[in-house]
Amino acid sequence: MLRTAASNAMRLGASRATRALSTKNADLLPPLKVAVTGAAGQIGYALVMRIASGEMLGKDQLIDLNLIETEAGMSPLRGVMMELEDGAFPLLSSVTATSDLNKGFGDINYAMLVGASPRGPGMERSDLMAANAKIFAEQGKALNTSAAVNAKVLVVGNPANTNALVASENAPDMWEEQFIAMTRLDQSRAQALLAEKAGADVKDVDRVIIWGNHSASQYPDLSHARIGGKWAKSIVKDDKWIKDEFIPRVQKRGAEVISARGASSAASAASAALDTVRDLHLGSGDAWQSNAVVSDGGYGIHKGLWYSVPTICKGDSHFRRVQRLPIDDFSAKMMTATEKELIEERDAVRHLLPGHESKPVSWNVLESLQTSFEEGDMKAVDEIAKELPAQFKKGVKTAKAAA
Amino acid sequence: MTVSPITVCVTGAAGQISYSLLSMLAAGSVFGPEQPVTLHLLEIPPALPALAGVVMELLDGAFPLLHSVTQTADPSVAFADADIAVLVGAFPRRAGMERKDLLEKNLPIFERQAHALNEHASKHVKVVVVGNPANTNAMVLAAFAPDIPRANISALTRLDHNRTMAQVAARLDVPVQSVAGVCIWGNHSSTQYPDITRATVDNVPVFDKLGGFEIVARDFIPTIQKRGAAVIKARGFSSALSAARAIANHLRSWVCGDEHIVSMAVPSDGSYGIKEGVFFSFPVRCMGDGVVEIVKGIEIDEFSKRYIDATAEELYAEREEALALLE
Repeated sequence: MLRTAASNAMRLGASRATRALSTKNADLLPPLKVAVTGAAGQIGYALVMRIASGEMLGKDQLIDLNLIETEAGMSPLRGVMMELEDGAFPLLSSVTATSDLNKGFGDINYAMLVGASPRGPGMERSDLMAANAKIFAEQGKALNTSAAVNAKVLVVGNPANTNALVASENAPDMWEEQFIAMTRLDQSRAQALLAEKAGADVKDVDRVIIWGNHSASQYPDLSHARIGGKWAKSIVKDDKWIKDEFIPRVQKRGAEVISARGASSAASAASAALDTVRDLHLGSGDAWQSNAVVSDGGYGIHKGLWYSVPTICKGDSHFRRVQRLPIDDFSAKMMTATEKELIEERDAVRHLLPGHESKPVSWNVLESLQTSFEEGDMKAVDEIAKELPAQFKKGVKTAKAAA
Repeated sequence: MTVSPITVCVTGAAGQISYSLLSMLAAGSVFGPEQPVTLHLLEIPPALPALAGVVMELLDGAFPLLHSVTQTADPSVAFADADIAVLVGAFPRRAGMERKDLLEKNLPIFERQAHALNEHASKHVKVVVVGNPANTNAMVLAAFAPDIPRANISALTRLDHNRTMAQVAARLDVPVQSVAGVCIWGNHSSTQYPDITRATVDNVPVFDKLGGFEIVARDFIPTIQKRGAAVIKARGFSSALSAARAIANHLRSWVCGDEHIVSMAVPSDGSYGIKEGVFFSFPVRCMGDGVVEIVKGIEIDEFSKRYIDATAEELYAEREEALALLE
């Protein structure tokens, strides 16, 4: 779908320097548009005030805030709007509340997709995947139609990586790099745990990496971590602690917080979302920030998966991946395990991706289909065939008829 | 150049308002990006597990300016060397409770905290009382913490002040930062007087544009007074976010100074005929480093005088009730 030059010009987000020149009020930059979905939920509530106070995009940056909710969420959202008004924020140029995605995403520079379908009682993981894939497919389409040309989209709602993939697949005119799934929370948690173990300040810890999926299969990696500029593993010489305590604790920290608070970790998730967009927008120097971005094949990860890797954020919403880090055997195993989970997640929602009919099916799926068929396990054959494109379904039907 | 951390104690630390406030404190938006913060979090024993979860989340935020966090149910630990104390925790109003009952429940809490602050906090500690009834709780605190200069104790009316600014801005469709000249007089209760008689937008008086005395009395003032209830009705929960924002504003203005006139409930010095011995919200100038001056010499018209007298009467009555309960 081609956009006209005129509409491109309207929605092209200018760089900070150019925008500064065009403002009438010399003190404040003309508004950037930020959309937040699920804005009436716990994370949204914790997030919007801090955005409005200028923590995310800078103290001189006016913001047009678009709050998006489902129909059911519009009433509490009005309460949030009242509170934002009562905050008397000088940087809030406007606040809009809507359940219309195209209206909400109109000309936005940053979208923070916090809202997602929660796991209901009796729901299988695959049901959760499918429910969310529908939501994020719609959001991808709306972003494709309405967002500014260089918009950046942060996906927070879980399963974040696969939701980002689905949204991106439904936004063919946007670069895959415009969609980022959040793993910054895991990185911050890992930094905090390492700092605690080493008795160091958390601000002196850096180069902690989160690889892979924002789930329990994530790999929090200390191989390159530093404390005060020194290699962390030369200070914390405790491999057992890393494998038996550090890694599982970071992976399961979400559950630990729920257990203590009786509610999920809204404030820290909001903090991480804010940190991610702030570092993208304002840059964070040479620091490595873990972000789940589309895999370009680096580290041997399947292309087209949203896989968390270390990135360097250069500001003005640009980033580059930190490539070709040496990976030891243990790390390779961990990185492959989380990649495998991401492949499974993608395959679970494959039938909801546009153009999946013409996409190749991965060899391991075909192999298991073949094996099940040869073993006469028709139940397994039907299970696998359910997820396949139409021509494969036809082939299976034919083969079964012939058998 | 390392700045030494300031110690901020927050009570009621596992509650909704604190949940919104603590991230702002840890992120450096209150005292500035160069000022590290040490947090001492106080809760009642039943809330300690929830507080542990809040502390986990603070650590998970990896805030560079958060120097350390202490969680405790012991006021002497919480207030130890505190430079700032934010007293959010209070006994909440239950259905059917009269003001006397609320006072009865809260006086012992603030008396205890006053002793602990007097004993353990820094000599220069600044205390902002948020928990209601805020003004009278502040008065009780001041009575039982004789070593803390009264000027270092205040109660929060900044939320009402912010709400007033926002309503003026909304009704005139102007940016909120162009509004000035508003203030809150009196008690942080339903008798508070949001005064917009001298309101300006870009230094142009707008009281007449807002409707003059009639409309203001009938519509504007009740809107501000009932805003809290309106938020509860819409959200289903009370206004934690805007309250936390107001606390942050109050602290920043108080400690770092403010070029604008703001509202704080401070010990009355007899200005505007308000008797000494109560904490009364006035328009104030914050000169920085905790120095606060009540704006003197404002001409109070008949209209405003009615409201100011009413809220003063309520505060005197609360004071009498408090003194009686303390006998």
